[in-house]
Amino acid sequence: MTELRTHFHDELERLEHDLVLMGEHAGQMISDSVAALVASDFEAAQGVIDKDDVVDDLYLEVHQRWLATMALQTPVAIDLRLMSVILHVNSHLERIADLAVTIAKITELSQGLPHDPTVISHLQEMGDMVASMVRTVMEAFTSRDLESALELPEMDRPVNRLNRKMVRKVVKFAEETDLLEWGVRMMVVSRTLERAGDNAVDVAEQIAFLLTGEFREFTDASHHD
Amino acid sequence: MTSDTQREAVVAIPTDNGAPADNPVAAEHDDVDRTYEHDVNGVIRTSDMDVFYGDFRAVGNVSLSFAFNEITALIGPSGCGKSTVLRSLNRMNDLIPSARVDGEVFYHGEDIYDPEVDPVEIRRRIGMVFQKPNPFPKSIYDNVAWGVKINGFKGRKEAMDEVVEQALTEAALWDEVKDKLNDSGLSLSGGQQQRLCIARAIAIQPDVVLMDEPCSALDPIATLRIEELMIKLKQHYSIIIVTHNMQQAARVSDKTAFFNVELDATGQRTGYLVEYSPTDELFTRPRVQQTEDYITGRFG
Repeated sequence: MTELRTHFHDELERLEHDLVLMGEHAGQMISDSVAALVASDFEAAQGVIDKDDVVDDLYLEVHQRWLATMALQTPVAIDLRLMSVILHVNSHLERIADLAVTIAKITELSQGLPHDPTVISHLQEMGDMVASMVRTVMEAFTSRDLESALELPEMDRPVNRLNRKMVRKVVKFAEETDLLEWGVRMMVVSRTLERAGDNAVDVAEQIAFLLTGEFREFTDASHHD
Repeated sequence: MTSDTQREAVVAIPTDNGAPADNPVAAEHDDVDRTYEHDVNGVIRTSDMDVFYGDFRAVGNVSLSFAFNEITALIGPSGCGKSTVLRSLNRMNDLIPSARVDGEVFYHGEDIYDPEVDPVEIRRRIGMVFQKPNPFPKSIYDNVAWGVKINGFKGRKEAMDEVVEQALTEAALWDEVKDKLNDSGLSLSGGQQQRLCIARAIAIQPDVVLMDEPCSALDPIATLRIEELMIKLKQHYSIIIVTHNMQQAARVSDKTAFFNVELDATGQRTGYLVEYSPTDELFTRPRVQQTEDYITGRFG
Protein backbone atom coordinates (compact mmCIF):
# COMPACT_ATOMS: atom_id res chain seq x y z
CA MET A 1 0.00 0.00 0.00
CA THR A 2 1.21 3.45 -0.85
CA GLU A 3 0.99 5.99 1.94
CA LEU A 4 -0.05 9.34 0.50
CA ARG A 5 -0.56 11.33 3.70
CA THR A 6 2.62 10.54 5.58
CA HIS A 7 2.82 13.84 7.44
CA PHE A 8 -0.77 13.60 8.67
CA HIS A 9 -0.55 9.96 9.67
CA ASP A 10 2.75 10.56 11.47
CA GLU A 11 1.04 13.30 13.48
CA LEU A 12 -1.84 10.94 14.28
CA GLU A 13 0.70 8.42 15.56
CA ARG A 14 2.36 11.09 17.70
CA LEU A 15 -0.98 12.13 19.19
CA GLU A 16 -1.80 8.51 19.97
CA HIS A 17 1.65 8.01 21.47
CA ASP A 18 1.14 10.95 23.83
CA LEU A 19 -2.26 9.61 24.79
CA VAL A 20 -0.76 6.23 25.64
CA LEU A 21 1.82 8.00 27.77
CA MET A 22 -0.97 9.84 29.58
CA GLY A 23 -2.72 6.51 30.13
CA GLU A 24 0.42 5.06 31.71
CA HIS A 25 0.75 8.08 34.00
CA ALA A 26 -2.95 8.09 34.93
CA GLY A 27 -3.01 4.36 35.75
CA GLN A 28 0.20 4.68 37.79
CA MET A 29 -1.19 7.70 39.65
CA ILE A 30 -4.25 5.68 40.70
CA SER A 31 -1.97 2.87 41.99
CA ASP A 32 0.39 5.32 43.70
CA SER A 33 -2.38 7.35 45.30
CA VAL A 34 -4.01 4.27 46.84
CA ALA A 35 -0.62 2.89 47.93
CA ALA A 36 0.14 6.24 49.62
CA LEU A 37 -3.24 6.12 51.37
CA VAL A 38 -2.70 2.56 52.57
CA ALA A 39 0.80 3.32 53.85
CA SER A 40 -0.07 6.83 55.11
CA ASP A 41 2.91 7.93 53.02
CA PHE A 42 2.44 11.68 52.64
CA GLU A 43 5.57 12.11 50.56
CA ALA A 44 4.24 9.56 48.03
CA ALA A 45 0.87 11.36 48.06
CA GLN A 46 2.66 14.61 47.22
CA GLY A 47 4.44 12.76 44.40
CA VAL A 48 1.03 11.94 42.88
CA ILE A 49 -0.02 15.58 43.11
CA ASP A 50 3.22 16.69 41.43
CA LYS A 51 2.82 14.16 38.63
CA ASP A 52 -0.51 15.67 37.69
CA ASP A 53 1.39 18.62 36.18
CA VAL A 54 2.95 16.21 33.67
CA VAL A 55 -0.47 14.85 32.71
CA ASP A 56 -1.97 18.35 32.47
CA ASP A 57 0.86 19.45 30.16
CA LEU A 58 0.26 16.43 27.93
CA TYR A 59 -3.49 17.09 27.99
CA LEU A 60 -3.09 20.69 26.84
CA GLU A 61 -0.46 19.75 24.27
CA VAL A 62 -2.64 16.99 22.77
CA HIS A 63 -5.63 19.32 22.68
CA GLN A 64 -3.72 22.07 20.90
CA ARG A 65 -2.21 19.74 18.32
CA TRP A 66 -5.58 18.04 17.86
CA LEU A 67 -7.17 21.36 16.93
CA ALA A 68 -4.42 22.16 14.43
CA THR A 69 -4.67 18.71 12.89
CA MET A 70 -8.44 18.97 12.49
CA ALA A 71 -8.14 22.40 10.93
CA LEU A 72 -5.35 21.48 8.54
CA GLN A 73 -5.93 17.86 7.61
CA THR A 74 -9.72 17.33 7.41
CA PRO A 75 -9.57 13.67 8.42
CA VAL A 76 -12.20 11.16 7.25
CA ALA A 77 -13.26 7.57 7.97
CA ILE A 78 -10.96 5.69 10.41
CA ASP A 79 -8.78 8.81 10.74
CA LEU A 80 -11.80 10.93 11.67
CA ARG A 81 -12.95 8.35 14.20
CA LEU A 82 -9.46 8.18 15.68
CA MET A 83 -9.39 11.97 15.98
CA SER A 84 -12.75 11.93 17.76
CA VAL A 85 -11.52 9.17 20.07
CA ILE A 86 -8.29 11.04 20.84
CA LEU A 87 -10.24 14.10 21.95
CA HIS A 88 -12.54 12.10 24.24
CA VAL A 89 -9.86 9.81 25.67
CA ASN A 90 -7.64 12.82 26.33
CA SER A 91 -10.36 14.24 28.61
CA HIS A 92 -11.06 10.94 30.35
CA LEU A 93 -7.39 10.31 31.13
CA GLU A 94 -6.89 13.83 32.45
CA ARG A 95 -9.95 13.25 34.64
CA ILE A 96 -8.58 9.94 35.96
CA ALA A 97 -5.34 11.69 36.89
CA ASP A 98 -7.33 14.42 38.67
CA LEU A 99 -9.22 11.74 40.61
CA ALA A 100 -5.88 10.26 41.73
CA VAL A 101 -4.93 13.75 42.97
CA THR A 102 -8.19 13.87 44.96
CA ILE A 103 -7.21 10.60 46.69
CA ALA A 104 -3.70 11.94 47.40
CA LYS A 105 -5.15 15.11 48.95
CA ILE A 106 -7.52 13.10 51.12
CA THR A 107 -4.51 11.07 52.32
CA GLU A 108 -2.88 14.32 53.44
CA LEU A 109 -6.11 15.53 55.08
CA SER A 110 -6.54 12.23 56.92
CA GLN A 111 -3.15 12.53 58.59
CA GLY A 112 -3.36 11.54 62.26
CA LEU A 113 -6.96 10.31 62.16
CA PRO A 114 -7.76 6.84 63.56
CA HIS A 115 -8.52 4.34 60.80
CA ASP A 116 -10.04 0.95 60.12
CA PRO A 117 -7.89 -1.79 58.49
CA THR A 118 -10.86 -3.52 56.82
CA VAL A 119 -11.80 -0.34 54.98
CA ILE A 120 -8.18 0.22 53.97
CA SER A 121 -7.92 -3.27 52.47
CA HIS A 122 -11.24 -2.68 50.77
CA LEU A 123 -9.92 0.49 49.12
CA GLN A 124 -6.67 -1.21 48.15
CA GLU A 125 -8.69 -3.87 46.36
CA MET A 126 -10.70 -1.21 44.54
CA GLY A 127 -7.52 0.68 43.62
CA ASP A 128 -5.93 -2.45 42.15
CA MET A 129 -9.03 -3.10 40.10
CA VAL A 130 -9.27 0.43 38.73
CA ALA A 131 -5.53 0.59 37.89
CA SER A 132 -5.95 -2.73 36.08
CA MET A 133 -8.94 -1.33 34.17
CA VAL A 134 -6.90 1.65 32.99
CA ARG A 135 -4.04 -0.63 31.90
CA THR A 136 -6.41 -3.02 30.10
CA VAL A 137 -8.25 -0.31 28.26
CA MET A 138 -5.08 1.42 27.09
CA GLU A 139 -3.67 -1.91 25.90
CA ALA A 140 -6.95 -2.50 24.04
CA PHE A 141 -6.45 0.92 22.43
CA THR A 142 -2.90 0.32 21.27
CA SER A 143 -3.61 -3.21 20.04
CA ARG A 144 -7.04 -2.28 18.56
CA ASP A 145 -8.52 -5.13 20.60
CA LEU A 146 -12.30 -4.88 20.65
CA GLU A 147 -12.72 -7.98 22.81
CA SER A 148 -10.60 -6.52 25.60
CA ALA A 149 -12.43 -3.19 25.38
CA LEU A 150 -15.74 -4.99 25.76
CA GLU A 151 -14.47 -6.56 29.03
CA LEU A 152 -14.40 -3.21 30.79
CA PRO A 153 -18.04 -3.12 31.99
CA GLU A 154 -17.49 -6.56 33.56
CA MET A 155 -14.30 -5.33 35.24
CA ASP A 156 -16.20 -2.30 36.55
CA ARG A 157 -18.93 -4.30 38.28
CA PRO A 158 -16.92 -5.39 41.38
CA VAL A 159 -15.67 -1.82 41.76
CA ASN A 160 -19.24 -0.59 41.87
CA ARG A 161 -20.19 -3.33 44.35
CA LEU A 162 -17.32 -2.45 46.70
CA ASN A 163 -18.30 1.21 46.52
CA ARG A 164 -21.85 0.39 47.58
CA LYS A 165 -20.55 -1.76 50.46
CA MET A 166 -18.48 1.19 51.62
CA VAL A 167 -21.62 3.20 52.31
CA ARG A 168 -22.85 0.53 54.71
CA LYS A 169 -19.49 0.43 56.50
CA VAL A 170 -19.30 4.20 56.95
CA VAL A 171 -22.88 4.34 58.26
CA LYS A 172 -21.72 1.96 61.01
CA PHE A 173 -18.92 4.41 61.91
CA ALA A 174 -21.66 6.78 63.09
CA GLU A 175 -21.72 4.65 66.23
CA GLU A 176 -17.93 4.99 66.64
CA THR A 177 -17.58 8.76 66.52
CA ASP A 178 -13.75 8.72 66.58
CA LEU A 179 -13.78 6.93 63.16
CA LEU A 180 -16.55 9.02 61.62
CA GLU A 181 -14.48 11.83 60.04
CA TRP A 182 -11.96 9.35 58.61
CA GLY A 183 -14.81 7.12 57.44
CA VAL A 184 -16.50 9.97 55.59
CA ARG A 185 -13.19 10.83 53.91
CA MET A 186 -12.74 7.17 52.88
CA MET A 187 -16.25 7.19 51.47
CA VAL A 188 -15.08 9.99 49.18
CA VAL A 189 -12.01 7.92 48.22
CA SER A 190 -14.27 4.98 47.38
CA ARG A 191 -16.55 7.18 45.29
CA THR A 192 -13.50 8.69 43.57
CA LEU A 193 -12.19 5.25 42.59
CA GLU A 194 -15.63 4.30 41.34
CA ARG A 195 -15.62 7.44 39.13
CA ALA A 196 -12.14 6.57 37.81
CA GLY A 197 -13.48 3.14 36.87
CA ASP A 198 -16.39 4.77 35.03
CA ASN A 199 -13.93 6.91 33.08
CA ALA A 200 -12.03 3.77 32.05
CA VAL A 201 -15.32 2.27 30.81
CA ASP A 202 -15.94 5.48 28.84
CA VAL A 203 -12.53 5.07 27.20
CA ALA A 204 -13.52 1.51 26.27
CA GLU A 205 -16.70 2.86 24.62
CA GLN A 206 -14.50 5.12 22.52
CA ILE A 207 -12.31 2.21 21.46
CA ALA A 208 -15.36 0.20 20.45
CA PHE A 209 -16.50 3.20 18.38
CA LEU A 210 -13.06 3.45 16.77
CA LEU A 211 -13.12 -0.20 15.78
CA THR A 212 -16.77 -0.65 14.80
CA GLY A 213 -17.90 2.81 13.68
CA GLU A 214 -20.92 2.48 16.00
CA PHE A 215 -21.07 4.54 19.17
CA ARG A 216 -23.06 3.21 22.09
CA GLU A 217 -22.88 3.50 25.85
CA PHE A 218 -21.91 0.25 27.55
CA THR A 219 -23.86 1.14 30.67
CA ASP A 220 -26.68 3.50 31.39
CA ALA A 221 -26.04 5.65 34.45
CA SER A 222 -29.76 5.80 35.17
CA HIS A 223 -30.01 1.98 35.20
CA HIS A 224 -27.01 0.84 37.24
CA ASP A 225 -26.75 -2.79 38.24
CA MET B 1 -8.23 -9.23 -9.66
CA THR B 2 -8.13 -9.98 -13.31
CA SER B 3 -10.89 -12.27 -14.46
CA ASP B 4 -14.34 -11.22 -15.60
CA THR B 5 -15.98 -13.42 -13.01
CA GLN B 6 -14.06 -11.71 -10.28
CA ARG B 7 -15.13 -8.32 -11.60
CA GLU B 8 -18.71 -9.50 -11.22
CA ALA B 9 -18.06 -9.48 -7.52
CA VAL B 10 -17.51 -5.77 -7.22
CA VAL B 11 -20.99 -4.50 -7.86
CA ALA B 12 -24.13 -4.60 -5.84
CA ILE B 13 -26.73 -6.33 -7.93
CA PRO B 14 -30.24 -4.94 -7.53
CA THR B 15 -33.24 -7.19 -7.60
CA ASP B 16 -36.86 -6.30 -8.21
CA ASN B 17 -37.44 -5.68 -4.55
CA GLY B 18 -34.43 -3.42 -4.35
CA ALA B 19 -32.22 -5.78 -2.38
CA PRO B 20 -28.90 -7.04 -3.70
CA ALA B 21 -29.25 -10.43 -5.34
CA ASP B 22 -27.69 -13.53 -3.87
CA ASN B 23 -24.56 -13.77 -5.96
CA PRO B 24 -22.33 -16.75 -5.23
CA VAL B 25 -19.36 -15.12 -6.95
CA ALA B 26 -19.83 -11.91 -5.04
CA ALA B 27 -20.14 -13.88 -1.83
CA GLU B 28 -16.52 -15.00 -2.23
CA HIS B 29 -15.32 -11.41 -1.99
CA ASP B 30 -15.61 -9.37 1.12
CA ASP B 31 -13.92 -6.27 -0.20
CA VAL B 32 -16.90 -4.81 -2.01
CA ASP B 33 -20.20 -3.46 -0.86
CA ARG B 34 -23.15 -5.66 -1.65
CA THR B 35 -25.42 -4.32 1.03
CA TYR B 36 -26.51 -1.01 -0.41
CA GLU B 37 -30.20 -1.02 -1.06
CA HIS B 38 -30.76 0.19 -4.59
CA ASP B 39 -33.71 2.45 -5.17
CA VAL B 40 -35.35 0.93 -8.23
CA ASN B 41 -37.49 4.03 -8.51
CA GLY B 42 -34.56 6.42 -8.89
CA VAL B 43 -34.68 9.04 -11.63
CA ILE B 44 -31.80 7.28 -13.37
CA ARG B 45 -30.83 3.68 -12.79
CA THR B 46 -28.09 1.64 -14.41
CA SER B 47 -28.16 -2.12 -14.41
CA ASP B 48 -25.02 -4.15 -15.15
CA MET B 49 -23.71 -1.34 -17.31
CA ASP B 50 -20.45 -1.91 -19.19
CA VAL B 51 -18.91 0.82 -21.32
CA PHE B 52 -16.48 -0.13 -24.08
CA TYR B 53 -14.26 1.95 -26.30
CA GLY B 54 -13.69 -0.53 -29.13
CA ASP B 55 -12.53 -3.75 -27.44
CA PHE B 56 -11.44 -1.91 -24.33
CA ARG B 57 -13.85 -2.22 -21.44
CA ALA B 58 -13.46 1.10 -19.62
CA VAL B 59 -15.91 0.34 -16.85
CA GLY B 60 -17.73 -2.81 -15.92
CA ASN B 61 -20.94 -4.00 -14.29
CA VAL B 62 -22.14 -0.74 -12.83
CA SER B 63 -25.49 -0.97 -11.08
CA LEU B 64 -26.46 2.33 -9.52
CA SER B 65 -29.63 4.23 -8.78
CA PHE B 66 -29.73 8.03 -8.60
CA ALA B 67 -32.47 9.52 -6.46
CA PHE B 68 -34.75 12.48 -7.12
CA ASN B 69 -33.68 15.82 -5.66
CA GLU B 70 -30.38 14.54 -4.42
CA ILE B 71 -26.78 15.21 -5.27
CA THR B 72 -24.77 12.10 -6.00
CA ALA B 73 -20.99 12.30 -6.21
CA LEU B 74 -18.87 9.88 -8.23
CA ILE B 75 -15.34 9.68 -6.87
CA GLY B 76 -12.29 7.53 -7.47
CA PRO B 77 -8.75 7.57 -8.85
CA SER B 78 -7.92 8.63 -12.40
CA GLY B 79 -8.95 6.02 -14.94
CA CYS B 80 -11.63 4.45 -12.74
CA GLY B 81 -14.35 5.28 -15.24
CA LYS B 82 -16.35 7.82 -13.26
CA SER B 83 -16.53 10.34 -16.12
CA THR B 84 -17.29 7.50 -18.52
CA VAL B 85 -20.20 6.46 -16.31
CA LEU B 86 -21.43 10.05 -16.13
CA ARG B 87 -21.29 10.52 -19.89
CA SER B 88 -23.20 7.27 -20.38
CA LEU B 89 -26.15 8.61 -18.41
CA ASN B 90 -27.21 11.03 -21.16
CA ARG B 91 -25.67 9.23 -24.15
CA MET B 92 -22.81 11.70 -24.50
CA ASN B 93 -20.62 8.69 -25.29
CA ASP B 94 -22.62 8.25 -28.50
CA LEU B 95 -20.48 11.07 -29.87
CA ILE B 96 -17.41 8.82 -29.67
CA PRO B 97 -17.67 6.39 -32.63
CA SER B 98 -16.04 3.41 -30.89
CA ALA B 99 -18.04 3.77 -27.66
CA ARG B 100 -20.58 1.10 -26.78
CA VAL B 101 -22.76 0.64 -23.73
CA ASP B 102 -23.90 -2.81 -22.64
CA GLY B 103 -26.43 -3.38 -19.90
CA GLU B 104 -29.23 -0.93 -19.28
CA VAL B 105 -29.65 2.69 -18.27
CA PHE B 106 -33.17 3.63 -17.22
CA TYR B 107 -34.44 7.19 -17.07
CA HIS B 108 -37.87 7.30 -15.40
CA GLY B 109 -38.04 3.58 -16.10
CA GLU B 110 -37.32 3.90 -19.85
CA ASP B 111 -34.17 2.41 -21.33
CA ILE B 112 -32.33 5.38 -22.83
CA TYR B 113 -30.35 3.07 -25.14
CA ASP B 114 -33.51 1.70 -26.73
CA PRO B 115 -33.16 2.27 -30.52
CA GLU B 116 -36.47 4.16 -30.47
CA VAL B 117 -35.15 6.77 -28.07
CA ASP B 118 -33.91 10.10 -29.46
CA PRO B 119 -30.55 10.92 -27.85
CA VAL B 120 -31.13 14.65 -28.37
CA GLU B 121 -34.29 14.48 -26.28
CA ILE B 122 -32.37 12.53 -23.62
CA ARG B 123 -29.73 15.26 -23.47
CA ARG B 124 -32.44 17.92 -23.19
CA ARG B 125 -33.86 16.19 -20.14
CA ILE B 126 -30.49 15.23 -18.68
CA GLY B 127 -28.33 18.34 -18.96
CA MET B 128 -24.59 18.53 -18.60
CA VAL B 129 -22.02 20.98 -17.25
CA PHE B 130 -18.40 20.39 -18.16
CA GLN B 131 -15.05 20.76 -16.45
CA LYS B 132 -14.07 23.96 -18.24
CA PRO B 133 -16.69 26.68 -18.54
CA ASN B 134 -17.62 26.77 -22.23
CA PRO B 135 -19.97 29.66 -22.93
CA PHE B 136 -20.70 30.37 -26.58
CA PRO B 137 -19.04 33.48 -28.04
CA LYS B 138 -22.38 35.20 -27.81
CA SER B 139 -24.10 37.56 -25.41
CA ILE B 140 -24.97 36.43 -21.89
CA TYR B 141 -28.63 36.58 -22.91
CA ASP B 142 -28.13 34.48 -26.03
CA ASN B 143 -26.08 31.90 -24.15
CA VAL B 144 -29.15 31.12 -22.06
CA ALA B 145 -31.76 31.64 -24.79
CA TRP B 146 -29.97 29.54 -27.43
CA GLY B 147 -30.84 26.12 -26.07
CA VAL B 148 -34.41 27.18 -25.45
CA LYS B 149 -34.75 28.41 -29.06
CA ILE B 150 -33.34 25.28 -30.68
CA ASN B 151 -35.67 23.21 -28.54
CA GLY B 152 -38.61 24.79 -30.33
CA PHE B 153 -39.48 27.80 -28.19
CA LYS B 154 -42.07 29.83 -30.09
CA GLY B 155 -43.10 32.40 -27.48
CA ARG B 156 -42.77 36.19 -27.59
CA LYS B 157 -39.62 38.11 -26.61
CA GLU B 158 -41.12 38.94 -23.18
CA ALA B 159 -41.63 35.23 -22.51
CA MET B 160 -38.04 34.48 -23.49
CA ASP B 161 -36.88 37.35 -21.23
CA GLU B 162 -38.65 35.60 -18.37
CA VAL B 163 -37.06 32.26 -19.17
CA VAL B 164 -33.59 33.87 -19.28
CA GLU B 165 -34.14 35.78 -16.04
CA GLN B 166 -35.44 32.71 -14.26
CA ALA B 167 -32.54 30.53 -15.38
CA LEU B 168 -29.96 33.17 -14.44
CA THR B 169 -31.68 33.69 -11.09
CA GLU B 170 -31.70 29.94 -10.37
CA ALA B 171 -28.03 29.86 -11.31
CA ALA B 172 -27.36 32.70 -8.81
CA LEU B 173 -26.01 34.94 -11.57
CA TRP B 174 -28.89 37.32 -12.32
CA ASP B 175 -27.89 40.08 -9.89
CA GLU B 176 -24.38 40.16 -11.32
CA VAL B 177 -25.36 40.29 -15.00
CA LYS B 178 -28.84 41.84 -15.20
CA ASP B 179 -27.43 45.18 -16.36
CA LYS B 180 -25.14 43.71 -19.01
CA LEU B 181 -27.10 40.95 -20.65
CA ASN B 182 -25.79 41.98 -24.07
CA ASP B 183 -22.14 41.68 -23.02
CA SER B 184 -20.29 38.63 -24.26
CA GLY B 185 -20.50 35.54 -22.08
CA LEU B 186 -16.74 35.34 -22.46
CA SER B 187 -16.34 38.68 -20.62
CA LEU B 188 -17.37 37.04 -17.34
CA SER B 189 -15.01 35.58 -14.74
CA GLY B 190 -14.42 31.80 -14.73
CA GLY B 191 -16.86 31.23 -11.88
CA GLN B 192 -19.50 33.42 -13.52
CA GLN B 193 -18.97 31.62 -16.84
CA GLN B 194 -19.57 28.27 -15.12
CA ARG B 195 -22.77 29.61 -13.53
CA LEU B 196 -23.78 30.86 -16.99
CA CYS B 197 -23.27 27.33 -18.31
CA ILE B 198 -25.44 26.03 -15.46
CA ALA B 199 -28.11 28.63 -16.37
CA ARG B 200 -27.86 27.49 -19.99
CA ALA B 201 -28.28 23.87 -18.93
CA ILE B 202 -31.31 24.49 -16.69
CA ALA B 203 -33.06 26.95 -19.05
CA ILE B 204 -34.36 24.02 -21.09
CA GLN B 205 -35.87 22.51 -17.95
CA PRO B 206 -34.08 19.20 -17.54
CA ASP B 207 -34.71 17.24 -14.37
CA VAL B 208 -31.19 15.87 -14.06
CA VAL B 209 -27.96 17.85 -14.34
CA LEU B 210 -24.70 15.98 -14.84
CA MET B 211 -21.60 17.86 -13.74
CA ASP B 212 -18.16 16.68 -14.80
CA GLU B 213 -15.58 18.30 -12.49
CA PRO B 214 -17.47 21.60 -12.64
CA CYS B 215 -15.14 23.43 -10.25
CA SER B 216 -11.74 22.13 -11.27
CA ALA B 217 -10.94 25.30 -13.22
CA LEU B 218 -12.27 27.65 -10.55
CA ASP B 219 -10.75 29.42 -7.55
CA PRO B 220 -11.90 28.43 -4.03
CA ILE B 221 -14.48 31.23 -3.70
CA ALA B 222 -16.02 30.51 -7.11
CA THR B 223 -15.97 26.82 -6.14
CA LEU B 224 -17.90 27.49 -2.93
CA ARG B 225 -20.45 29.56 -4.91
CA ILE B 226 -21.04 26.66 -7.29
CA GLU B 227 -21.33 24.24 -4.36
CA GLU B 228 -23.91 26.46 -2.63
CA LEU B 229 -25.73 26.74 -5.94
CA MET B 230 -25.81 22.96 -6.34
CA ILE B 231 -27.39 22.56 -2.91
CA LYS B 232 -30.11 25.08 -3.89
CA LEU B 233 -30.64 23.50 -7.29
CA LYS B 234 -31.27 20.03 -5.91
CA GLN B 235 -34.71 21.22 -4.77
CA HIS B 236 -35.70 21.12 -8.45
CA TYR B 237 -33.15 18.83 -10.07
CA SER B 238 -31.21 15.68 -9.44
CA ILE B 239 -27.51 16.37 -9.72
CA ILE B 240 -24.77 13.84 -10.42
CA ILE B 241 -21.26 15.20 -10.07
CA VAL B 242 -17.88 13.74 -10.89
CA THR B 243 -15.21 15.25 -8.71
CA HIS B 244 -11.57 14.63 -7.90
CA ASN B 245 -12.03 16.73 -4.79
CA MET B 246 -13.15 14.38 -2.04
CA GLN B 247 -13.92 17.24 0.30
CA GLN B 248 -16.21 18.68 -2.35
CA ALA B 249 -18.02 15.34 -2.56
CA ALA B 250 -18.27 15.35 1.24
CA ARG B 251 -19.55 18.94 1.36
CA VAL B 252 -22.23 18.81 -1.30
CA SER B 253 -23.45 15.30 -1.98
CA ASP B 254 -26.14 13.19 -0.35
CA LYS B 255 -24.74 9.94 -1.68
CA THR B 256 -21.31 8.98 -2.93
CA ALA B 257 -20.26 6.23 -5.28
CA PHE B 258 -16.61 5.19 -5.05
CA PHE B 259 -15.07 3.61 -8.14
CA ASN B 260 -11.74 1.87 -8.35
CA VAL B 261 -9.71 0.51 -11.24
CA GLU B 262 -8.13 -2.88 -11.79
CA LEU B 263 -5.51 -4.08 -14.23
CA ASP B 264 -5.92 -7.36 -16.06
CA ALA B 265 -3.09 -9.64 -17.23
CA THR B 266 -2.76 -7.66 -20.47
CA GLY B 267 -2.45 -4.36 -18.64
CA GLN B 268 -5.97 -3.25 -19.52
CA ARG B 269 -7.57 -1.02 -16.89
CA THR B 270 -11.22 -1.45 -16.08
CA GLY B 271 -13.14 0.69 -13.61
CA TYR B 272 -15.66 -0.81 -11.22
CA LEU B 273 -18.00 0.33 -8.51
CA VAL B 274 -16.71 -0.44 -5.02
CA GLU B 275 -19.19 1.23 -2.71
CA TYR B 276 -22.28 3.37 -2.95
CA SER B 277 -23.39 4.84 0.36
CA PRO B 278 -24.92 7.91 1.96
CA THR B 279 -22.08 10.44 1.95
CA ASP B 280 -22.01 10.94 5.71
CA GLU B 281 -21.59 7.20 6.21
CA LEU B 282 -19.00 6.79 3.48
CA PHE B 283 -16.80 9.48 5.00
CA THR B 284 -17.17 8.37 8.63
CA ARG B 285 -17.47 4.59 8.45
CA PRO B 286 -17.06 3.25 4.93
CA ARG B 287 -18.18 -0.33 4.50
CA VAL B 288 -15.36 -1.41 2.24
CA GLN B 289 -11.66 -1.38 3.10
CA GLN B 290 -10.76 -0.16 -0.43
CA THR B 291 -12.92 2.91 0.12
CA GLU B 292 -11.30 3.59 3.46
CA ASP B 293 -7.81 3.20 2.01
CA TYR B 294 -8.59 5.61 -0.81
CA ILE B 295 -10.29 8.37 1.16
CA THR B 296 -7.71 8.29 3.95
CA GLY B 297 -4.82 8.47 1.48
CA ARG B 298 -3.47 4.98 2.13
CA PHE B 299 -3.73 4.06 -1.49
CA GLY B 300 -1.49 4.40 -4.50
